[in-house]
Amino acid sequence: MIPRIRLTWWDVTLLAIMAIGVVLAVARYAGGIGSVANINNAYPWGWWVGYGIMTMIALGGVGFTITLLVEVLGVHRYHALLRPSVLMALLCYSGAIIMLMVELGRPWMVWMILVSWAPTAALYEVGWCAFLYLSVLAFEFAQVPLEQLGWGRVLRVTRAIYMPLMLLGVTLSHLHQSSLGTLMTLIPHKINVLWWSDQLPLLFLFSAMMAGPALAILEYLAAARWLGFEPRMDMLASLARIEAWIVGLFLAFQVGDLVARGAVDAMLSWSWFALSLWIEVGLGLLLPLVLLILPEVRQSRGGLATACSLIVAGVLLHRLNVTVIGLRVRHWETYYPSLGEIGITLGITAGAIFVFGVLARILPIHEELTRSAAGPRRAVVPAGALRGARGIS
Amino acid sequence: MTAPAPKPKAMIQDNTRCIGCRACMVACKSWNNRPADHTDFFAGPGYQNPRDLDANNYTLITFNEVVTGAKPDWVFGRQLCMHCDHPACASACPTTALTKTALGPVVFNQNRCIGCRACMQACPFLIPKYDYENLAPLIHKCTFCADRIEAGLKPACATVCPTSAISFGDRDDMVAEAKRRIAAAPGTYIPEIYGLDEVGGTSVLHLSSVPFEQIGYITGLPKTSMPDLTHRWLRVTPHFFALLYAMFAALTWITHRRSRNQEHGGKTA
Repeated sequence: MIPRIRLTWWDVTLLAIMAIGVVLAVARYAGGIGSVANINNAYPWGWWVGYGIMTMIALGGVGFTITLLVEVLGVHRYHALLRPSVLMALLCYSGAIIMLMVELGRPWMVWMILVSWAPTAALYEVGWCAFLYLSVLAFEFAQVPLEQLGWGRVLRVTRAIYMPLMLLGVTLSHLHQSSLGTLMTLIPHKINVLWWSDQLPLLFLFSAMMAGPALAILEYLAAARWLGFEPRMDMLASLARIEAWIVGLFLAFQVGDLVARGAVDAMLSWSWFALSLWIEVGLGLLLPLVLLILPEVRQSRGGLATACSLIVAGVLLHRLNVTVIGLRVRHWETYYPSLGEIGITLGITAGAIFVFGVLARILPIHEELTRSAAGPRRAVVPAGALRGARGIS
Repeated sequence: MTAPAPKPKAMIQDNTRCIGCRACMVACKSWNNRPADHTDFFAGPGYQNPRDLDANNYTLITFNEVVTGAKPDWVFGRQLCMHCDHPACASACPTTALTKTALGPVVFNQNRCIGCRACMQACPFLIPKYDYENLAPLIHKCTFCADRIEAGLKPACATVCPTSAISFGDRDDMVAEAKRRIAAAPGTYIPEIYGLDEVGGTSVLHLSSVPFEQIGYITGLPKTSMPDLTHRWLRVTPHFFALLYAMFAALTWITHRRSRNQEHGGKTA
């Protein structure tokens, strides 16, 4: 039986944006990267890498962050966030892979990474880890449709190997989230002193961990609103408390690193770079930290949505600052993203949201919904762990 | 009898001898089969053409207006791949399409390139260029005429320079020669060899009459190998992997044992 869903106005809008992205992607393959993108010899990486890959992977950190919290640290009160987070991660990584297929000059050669031996290259490690982690995510999420289909024998196998693979996924995430930062440590001569740090691997790892709970809270609030269930504010408030700690620690780490590297002068003197850093730190860290410290904000949907959106936007700006905005090469060289570049990334983002919205309506992703309403076939044990089984054995 | 190990080669670019004839650029295009470009006067400072290296130009004589003594003067500089001893580009390449050969050239294997452009981002000298308009684009940069060197010849540019501004030989000899020239004519040269220890040493050594930053060179680069910046982190990765996996597994076991015990406790009580 094919589940039927009614397309809403939102779905149609997302589909339209996707269509524009597809047209632009076709133009890119027909005319070359140069026909749609402004990236050039001085700025070989632009919006596509800064947003489409670096930020998408950072946001995909929601998968391992919530998995770490629920499955490894055993904080089961956030269990309702697990399935949405794994699905979001799966879609973020898939989006990043699609971006890569557009962004690479010779995408048909990408398999070459898997048959190379280049342990000195951060991208080699990122490539391997992301490839493996995407497989783990697909495996983890596959349990949901498998339950729906009622394929018991397959499920028994997947549940047996769930634990080691889940741990592998969490470990791989730590490695490649940090390796994206390692990648950027290679160019201290290009990245402004405000962002180049030999601690970039840790900054990237921790900021991905910071983006995780924020994105999970945002998703839960959005799902509560558009799928129509009552959000458990006590759960969100307690996660927001944890998030406040993460944001505070990250803020201390980033500012401490700036001080330790003697970059305070550059931070306090006027430049466009300094302005961009202040927006990143002020609006992406300080303001949400203040908001999340207030108990009334943690209890309010609007307040949480605002704070978490700021955190996500701050992570986006951090990635952009490190990979694009903070870079300076020869003084006459410049880069700004073209409409084509932005259009393709919007298409990919819209696609990820659209797929999420569809799956959230036909599969038991949200515990709040599966409790009351039944899908086409009743979920086997919807309230269990991601692997479905009740409790953990 | 085994042949003695080949000695790494190097090239001296003596900018004090350069007259800006650009024969090196022509020879380079010719040997590497690069198409001609439409050029205009004053693409860059003075009569420089083109403004920068690109996919069709692997080397470039730069025309720099410098005030020497009391009068303005054109002082020439040259851009080409430095062929680093510890190339950042090769260390950044996830498919080992770029490699440093024993004789010195950093060579590009186009059959391995996926087009990620990490080498362009990594290069401290901004050398690798891309042909973005191409449907199957490739990285382009000076090859140090690796094929010619392999055959015992000089790079194309070094064969045509009419003023001997380009010298080629074993790196040890070239370093000694560069030092000799500076010592012999301290009024002509600034006492600095660009490339001797920039980013850990390169296979191209530049000499100049004026400070290098005045003729468009990228200065202030670290004197240590760039790839070390990432190696520090990457070489511990396997250990981190094992450590983290074990740690998470242990944590999971502990937390799940607790919840198991709670369940059992609940049942029995």
